[in-house]
Amino acid sequence: MEHLILRLKEEIIEVLNLEDIKPEDIDDNAPLIGDGLGLDSIDVLELIVLLGKNYGINVKEASQGREIFQSVRVMAEYIRANRTK
Amino acid sequence: MRQEIVITGMGIISALGNNRENTLIALREQRSGIAPVARLQTIHSLPVGEVKYTDAEMMRLLHLPETAVTTRTSLLGTIAVEEALRQANIPNPAGALRIALISGTTVGGMDRSERYYFDFLTNDTQNDYLFTHNCGACTELIADHFGIFSFVDTVSTACSSAANAIMTGAQLLGSGRADIVVAGGSECLTQFHLNGFNALMILDPEPCKPFDANRAGLNLGEGAAYLVMETKRNAEKRQAKPLCGLSGYANTCDAFHQTASSPEGDGACRAMRHALAFAGLLPEDVDYINAHGTGTQNNDLSEGKAIERVFGKNIPPVSSTKAFTGHATSAAGGIEAVISILALLHNFIPVNLNFQHQIEELNFEPYSRQTPGNVRRPVNHVLSNSFGFGGNNTSLVFSKIPECGRNKIYLSSAKQISVQPPLTDSWMDAPIHCQDRYVRAVDPDYRQYFSPNEARRYGKILKRALLVSRRTLDEAGIQNPDAIITGTGFGCVENTGLFLNAMLREGEKFLQPTHFMQSTHNTIGSLIAIDRQSYGYNSTCLHKGISFECALLDAYIQLNNKQIQTALVGAHDEMTPNYYRFLRQTGYFDDCCFSGETAVAMLLSAEKGDKTLCLLEEIEMVYTGNITEYQFLNDFRFLKESDEIDAVMTGIGGNRANDAVYRDICSALFPNKKLLRYKHLFGESYTAPAFGVYAAAICLLQQRIPAHLFTDPGNGEQKGIKKILCYSQFEGKTHSFILLSSC
Repeated sequence: MEHLILRLKEEIIEVLNLEDIKPEDIDDNAPLIGDGLGLDSIDVLELIVLLGKNYGINVKEASQGREIFQSVRVMAEYIRANRTK
Repeated sequence: MRQEIVITGMGIISALGNNRENTLIALREQRSGIAPVARLQTIHSLPVGEVKYTDAEMMRLLHLPETAVTTRTSLLGTIAVEEALRQANIPNPAGALRIALISGTTVGGMDRSERYYFDFLTNDTQNDYLFTHNCGACTELIADHFGIFSFVDTVSTACSSAANAIMTGAQLLGSGRADIVVAGGSECLTQFHLNGFNALMILDPEPCKPFDANRAGLNLGEGAAYLVMETKRNAEKRQAKPLCGLSGYANTCDAFHQTASSPEGDGACRAMRHALAFAGLLPEDVDYINAHGTGTQNNDLSEGKAIERVFGKNIPPVSSTKAFTGHATSAAGGIEAVISILALLHNFIPVNLNFQHQIEELNFEPYSRQTPGNVRRPVNHVLSNSFGFGGNNTSLVFSKIPECGRNKIYLSSAKQISVQPPLTDSWMDAPIHCQDRYVRAVDPDYRQYFSPNEARRYGKILKRALLVSRRTLDEAGIQNPDAIITGTGFGCVENTGLFLNAMLREGEKFLQPTHFMQSTHNTIGSLIAIDRQSYGYNSTCLHKGISFECALLDAYIQLNNKQIQTALVGAHDEMTPNYYRFLRQTGYFDDCCFSGETAVAMLLSAEKGDKTLCLLEEIEMVYTGNITEYQFLNDFRFLKESDEIDAVMTGIGGNRANDAVYRDICSALFPNKKLLRYKHLFGESYTAPAFGVYAAAICLLQQRIPAHLFTDPGNGEQKGIKKILCYSQFEGKTHSFILLSSC
């Protein structure tokens, strides 16, 4: 799990082009959207693409994103439960 | 082809005074002309808007003998027409000019008929006044006073008469049957119609309160007002200065009731919509509505509903000026046309007097003394409503028009990012000449300008565009330009390439929304708008090598029409290795030229500021297609004055074929001019001409052209320059001429 969380942080930084942010800067339990990292609705769409591309998870509605991307830990748990690759 | 109708003169007499000036002063001082009835013989003690002259006094004003046969309507009309003709500088005798008088009246000679009725019945002493009873007789009395009219017509549609006369006049001009039309209306107060309105129980015993919840009816008024109308061409021919244009008009019928308006204002709604459509305007273009606003329960609610239907939630300032003048019935449309034009010319909105409480059924209140933010603002388009009994609804639209000649448009500030030291104009003295064929702009460290969260998403074209736009606007001291117009020749090729590449290489499944979002061409302009919270006009031009000039022209036209005061014009292009390869393959880039990237922003403004670089005198564009005989380009009017042009900024420095075309055309058009260049410094791109304009503007500001800008640098630096013409062509098919001068 901890390995997945680290890998996920690296992927998020890359896909969202979060310059100046290192994996250790991201709190496992802090919200990704809004307050924490300050991500917006376009970022939610980008993270949904990431889930599909890297983990084979097909998220059908953008509105599901808010739940899945509550924090990196929640996201990692969601991936562990649903990944197809 | 529809002829543009302009107004070149106007005259007015009403309870507010006997000329334009008194009217304007009273409107501005918010001084009503309504007072208890004094001159008219009546038992009713009602407030009315009477003209403060007796008939005898008006006859003296007009130098008429005491024995002259007149009516009060004709006297009022003659005074107003005289003022209008004088302002329009109409010659008398008229020579070959065909001049028409179209007058609206319903009362006509009724005042004399009231006075002499019993004489008519019992003797022949006042028979002259039998003839003046007719509405048309009043019009002829006015016409004969001047002896210059070769056509007369009288329109009588009750309270919309004068407005319909103006509309008829426009149609007459359009048909070519007259060179000049004097149109409006005249109506005096009479016992007859005062009692008529009283019988209808629509007269307020107090000063009227248009658009007020507690309105109790109208006050009658009297007066006359006329416009001198002609086609723009005719005005130009006789060198008359237009005051404004009659840009739209429409008349519709409610077909509902003989006197009342339909409850939802169907006809009024149609009249306003048709007039705006005729003018080619959107509701939001209207800066002021001079409402019919009589003060009756029925009119104000019905008209208010119609205004809501046409204008939705964004209702411009609305006022009825009938609490100033009273309801001058058939003359009202003329009086309110003049008031509308005064508002247009003096950029003010007449208040709706006596307003206190909003009508419950309406979601707006009129523009009144208590309206917050009661400030001076540009008034470019005014809609004037005149509704008459019988559901006769007329709406006129008056619009400011460009004055004969050009308005001054300034290039107020300009910034660029390029291979030259970014954000400065040190290239004038320490130019960096392009070395590599594939030239890239030298970006500043954007982290000092954008938060990481902003910067992480924007491609380089967006960062550059945002930065030069911010700096251009900040330098000019403008937070929000009225228009943001972007020229881009290639668009956002980086993100387009990323998306296209992913789609074609990796399939259609996991494509990134950010790339797509930033592949659209107008994302540049929209991002600038978001950055500044600018809600005005926002457009993007993308037409090959003239994309920047198209954007500049769009801004120029809107500024010249005074539709806007400021425009941010941008030229933005980026280059990627792939795109460079493609353009090498097309021959656009060859081994002679440097491929550049463009990031130029400039602020055009109607006013000169501290940082103003130069005047943008004129821009002309032409498409010659495959014709390669360029001599006809000599027809451009400002080339004929080319003696004053110090140098011509050209796009020489592109590919071989491009340079050959430039040299051909320049030797034909500017055989004796020194040619300038900029592409050796800024590189070639579809929007590179923006660098040419930018460089010329800096030269004009600094009053010198450095040697390295000349195609023949041996000339040395040139000082004391006044005008630079920027000429660009693309593929020999599209040509742009942009004339800049120092200011």
